[in-house]
Amino acid sequence: MSDDKVFFELTNRLSELEALHDNLKNFGQSVGLSRKAIFEINLVMEEIFTNIVTYAYDNDDEHRIGFFLSHEKGMMVIRIEDTGMSFNPLCARTPDLECALEDRKIGGLGVYLAKHFMDHIDYVRCGNKNILTLKKSVI
Amino acid sequence: MERQKIEIIETMRNNVSIFRLKGRLDSNTSQEFENKIFGAIQSGSRSMIIDFKTLDYISSAGLRVILKAAKELKHSGGKILLCSMESYIREVFEIAGFDSFIPIFPTLDEAVNHF
Repeated sequence: MSDDKVFFELTNRLSELEALHDNLKNFGQSVGLSRKAIFEINLVMEEIFTNIVTYAYDNDDEHRIGFFLSHEKGMMVIRIEDTGMSFNPLCARTPDLECALEDRKIGGLGVYLAKHFMDHIDYVRCGNKNILTLKKSVI
Repeated sequence: MERQKIEIIETMRNNVSIFRLKGRLDSNTSQEFENKIFGAIQSGSRSMIIDFKTLDYISSAGLRVILKAAKELKHSGGKILLCSMESYIREVFEIAGFDSFIPIFPTLDEAVNHF
């Protein structure tokens, strides 16, 4: 039986995206996720991680970001914890997706994609931590 | 462990710059892609195709570069076309609404013939 829970930590560097992908792919394959599900979850985790790395800290020090993945009864649960500034990505503005090319802005697209690919996202600030819990049905 | 970098192979066909992407286009690799595309635009390239046939992954960082290039090319009278996407990558372009202003073709030949 493969383990259906995993925890790993990354530092606040974009080069860690390789490790993020490796960890997710290993876990996803061990619990039998499709390539498409792994792709979509990877994209969402990257968008959240990149936001944290880019905006959460006001110094260049190394900080740790925790990832908890679990899979039970066809549901993937991803919990992401960071100790950066308080930030609720669910409050990000939805981009205007219907405007002309010239007026199109890229901001907010990452969170928009995250909301699209997940069935449920929940944010809490707990002490000095941002805790984001994402759920996706992968049946 | 296998490195997950991006490889960008640039070729010319009928005066069209073709960029074949291989690997993963994410927040860490998109700068290299941006440099390559904008280098070509600066050198006078106005007709471009991005070939996704061997691309495994894209996030909003990759979409940002394509949007920026599409705006720049439109401004200078050029055009960018995309081709050969896996269905799950195409879906990202559709969700983001990019397919409404950047044509996506099933194959490279169809994209080349469109110019």
